[in-house]
Amino acid sequence: MSAKEKRIEEVKSTGHVYDGIEELDHPPPPWFVAMFYLTVAIGLAYYAYYEIGPGPTQGQELQAERRKEELAELTSLAASGGSKIPSEDELQAMGKDPGRRSAGAAVFSTKCASCHGNRGEGGIGPNLTDRHWIHGGRLTDVFNVITQGVPVKGMPPWGALLKQEEVEGVTAFVASLAGTNPPGGKAPQGELVEKR
Amino acid sequence: MSDKFRYDDDISKKFLLATLLWGAVALLLGVLIATQLADWRLNLGLPWTSFGRLRPLHTNAAIFAFAGNGVFAAIYYSSQRLLKTRMYSDLLSRVHFWGWQAVIVAAAVTLPLGLTVGKEYAELEWPIAWAVNGLWVVFAVNFFQTLRVRRERHLYVAIWFYIATIVTVAVLHVMNTIQIPVSFWKSYPVYAGVQDALIQWWYGHNAVAFVLTTPFLGLMYYFLPKAAERPVYSYRLSIVHFWSLVFIYIWAGPHHLLYTALPDWAQTVGVAFSLMLIAPSWGGMINGLLTLRGAWDRVRKEPVLKFFVAALTFYGMATFEGPLLSIKSVSALGHYTDWIVGHVHGGALGWNGFMIFGMAYWLVPRLWKTPLYSTGMANAHFWIGFLGTVTYLVSLWVAGITQGLMWGATDIAGKLVYPDFVETVLRIVPLYWVRMAGGLLYFSGYLLMLVNLVLTVRRAPAGVQDEAASAPPLVPATVGNLGGRPHRMLEGLPGLFTVLTLLAILVGTVLEIAPTFFSGGFAPETPGVKPYTGLQLHGRDLYVREGCYTCHSQMIRALPAEVKRYGEYSRAEESMYDHPFQWGSKRTGPDLARVGGKYPDLWHYRHMMEPRDLVPGSIMPSYSWLAKDKTDFEIIARKLAVMKKLGVPYADDDVRLAVEDARREARRIGRGLEAQGVKPGIEDMEIVALIAYLQRLGEDFRKGGVK
Ligand code: HEC
Ligand code: HEC
Repeated sequence: MSAKEKRIEEVKSTGHVYDGIEELDHPPPPWFVAMFYLTVAIGLAYYAYYEIGPGPTQGQELQAERRKEELAELTSLAASGGSKIPSEDELQAMGKDPGRRSAGAAVFSTKCASCHGNRGEGGIGPNLTDRHWIHGGRLTDVFNVITQGVPVKGMPPWGALLKQEEVEGVTAFVASLAGTNPPGGKAPQGELVEKR
Repeated sequence: MSDKFRYDDDISKKFLLATLLWGAVALLLGVLIATQLADWRLNLGLPWTSFGRLRPLHTNAAIFAFAGNGVFAAIYYSSQRLLKTRMYSDLLSRVHFWGWQAVIVAAAVTLPLGLTVGKEYAELEWPIAWAVNGLWVVFAVNFFQTLRVRRERHLYVAIWFYIATIVTVAVLHVMNTIQIPVSFWKSYPVYAGVQDALIQWWYGHNAVAFVLTTPFLGLMYYFLPKAAERPVYSYRLSIVHFWSLVFIYIWAGPHHLLYTALPDWAQTVGVAFSLMLIAPSWGGMINGLLTLRGAWDRVRKEPVLKFFVAALTFYGMATFEGPLLSIKSVSALGHYTDWIVGHVHGGALGWNGFMIFGMAYWLVPRLWKTPLYSTGMANAHFWIGFLGTVTYLVSLWVAGITQGLMWGATDIAGKLVYPDFVETVLRIVPLYWVRMAGGLLYFSGYLLMLVNLVLTVRRAPAGVQDEAASAPPLVPATVGNLGGRPHRMLEGLPGLFTVLTLLAILVGTVLEIAPTFFSGGFAPETPGVKPYTGLQLHGRDLYVREGCYTCHSQMIRALPAEVKRYGEYSRAEESMYDHPFQWGSKRTGPDLARVGGKYPDLWHYRHMMEPRDLVPGSIMPSYSWLAKDKTDFEIIARKLAVMKKLGVPYADDDVRLAVEDARREARRIGRGLEAQGVKPGIEDMEIVALIAYLQRLGEDFRKGGVK
């Protein structure tokens, strides 16, 4: 430390000494004071904006977001010409399409196998390889169950989580399971459906 | 005429050694649970080593055992010297010391056994919690009596911070530990739902403020100028940042609850005051760093100063990051993720840890009257610790922000891009390994310090005595000798100073919390919300016991992506009978507020036995003991009786028939499971109660009881 600095410090001393610790009397740095006032002002303004001014409540914010999304969905639907629910024939055709089936198999193993078994033999959920169906054996029935689920029975609705083509693919995969008779199959549940 | 006396150095040594010991335990536990998140097998399949039980032990050990004992070492050492007197009572000092260690041991035994209240950093069950309250009184009496018998007229800024610590922790801890016992090791907090959440985070946030900040600032104000042998830069800055910090901090708790069922106004107040906190926090950092003016050449050489400088810098970083994370839109992204865990460790490892290390390297040679064994080792410790901390922070920034973005990602059709929660977990598991490596580095540095300090102490000369000192006795206060400026006068009047400090923290406390007592805890009477059945309530206690809340939230925030993933956002009424609330603070697993009915009972059974059977890659521990341990049906009646006392609307018959009802409900669920191949007798096991609880979550809403 230079002699000059030392002199400044003597001038600046408060004269307080505690256990050898001396306190100087520098003013707080101006940028610190400025920051202090600024953050207090920002804090107050923040409060005023949300609680007195036009700031939205979290409920309003959510609603606005949802409205925006609905609009976006509508426009994207209009642009794509809308994806329509496939018919039984279309689903049957998809069931024979190996590309569709293998895409569906991938979805099945990650999303469905935990309840229906790796090969659809059943477990927590029913066996999907036999000819018994709780909710109907047509592929449109299968498609609908997958989309809407059976929440009270613990079959989750997948419509909101999977894209339509994924639901179609997994439906095609389920169609391909018919009669595969894997080992450890769960006992049949529901009505016997002779022919699809 | 000067009085001659000796400082009680033995008590400082005791607390310092305790810190060093418990610090090792806390860090080791930290490394263990960090590894458990990277590889679930390290849960070892045992109840008392599973993540949910060890995580509270880690946090409590770090805060109350490591930082706590460190703070006490600093307070006992510095206060005596700043006040020029021995502590008022050696006996009270020792009661405080041994009592505190007994509490820590009790915590180390009870938490792994699952005896917990289930509120973060306030987990200790009521007999221990109230022992803490008692010990705090012992400490406070001893401290304030020491102020009374001091020989220094005015109080130094370090003492101001100690006063704020003692007063505020007393208020916080007593308020947050008002519980009604069900048995010796089980109690329910009197608060529920939103009110419990608000009080908990008022407590939790201010535990950070008044256990991990104010006493450490006091510590800094003593040890840093001592070690640097430089005068403190600005007395006026001390005044400004002390009062603003104490007054503003107490309000900021609600920033832990943004977009939740807490009323909007309380959230906004929390954010506003968090923004205002930057400058008061930085005041301490600035005053510390400017005190080093003219000593920077020594910082390069002396490990003590290095630790202090790095600590202040981490403190500055954490206190900037905190307000940033409080802004609603940043919280929307960061809350519930590992970013928050990283944030807290910036403070814990960088600020608290490094302050204690600096203090230990300075204090041990002085207390044991012998030079430090190796400065080189201490320097190595610094760099290893620094690298460890940075590794830790960076890995969790990346992990937290990655996961936050994945949770919120939607495609143009508005669908979640990553609907499977586990996908977002698997993405960050590699970063959990990196974090673990950071923690391990930090721990290695710590061990190096232990070796260094042990070797130092072993070289201590025999028969080191308490340091002798002398000072003239205190002259009674007069307007003349108190000093001219008003604040200077106040510094000479500890009683008044303490009262003003108390008032400063009570303003925010009262204005934020009092309204909950007049508004039914912010939850309107809603007949559609049904109390838990006895079995569900018991299952809920198992959820608390296993620490599921350390990984799962039960609070769906009012954010579009969250509503898509989990269902309608949570309403205040839904947790109005939840003593304690279980909103959680971290989503290592998905939110569970509406998990009821999502899966069949059998799914839960198999998932709890082995999560990976159903969700490949899951990092959740398995809970197979729940299928082997019998449900204690008898206690359920007492539980309902206590809940009834707390205002949960049970009829007398509900309580009278509680045990039978619970058995009937368990039989129904058990039979269903048995019909699907689960081993007979399952109805008597705890897993059934837990399933009853899980299936109940969100039911009021599903049934239209809540709008
Ligand atoms: C959490 C377990 C679970 C998962 C995961 C699950 N299911 Fe199911 N699923 C069930 C249950 C349970 C039922 C029976 C519902 C009933 O009893 O009405 C069922 C029924 C069905 C049915 C109707 C069967 C019938 O007999 O009518 C189909 C088709 C089906 N699931 C397909 C799927 C597909 C495809 C997936 C994956 C996208 C899937 N499930 C995922 C549990 C599940
Ligand atoms: C180490 C953190 C951790 C702990 C502790 C933990 N879980 Fe999990 N949990 C997870 C993860 C990760 C997932 C997501 C993967 C999966 O489903 O297994 C999960 C998923 C779940 C799910 C499925 C939720 C859904 O919507 O799919 C339930 C139910 C659940 N946990 C219950 C519990 C219960 C009950 C406890 C306490 C006994 C508990 N968890 C403890 C991490 C944890």
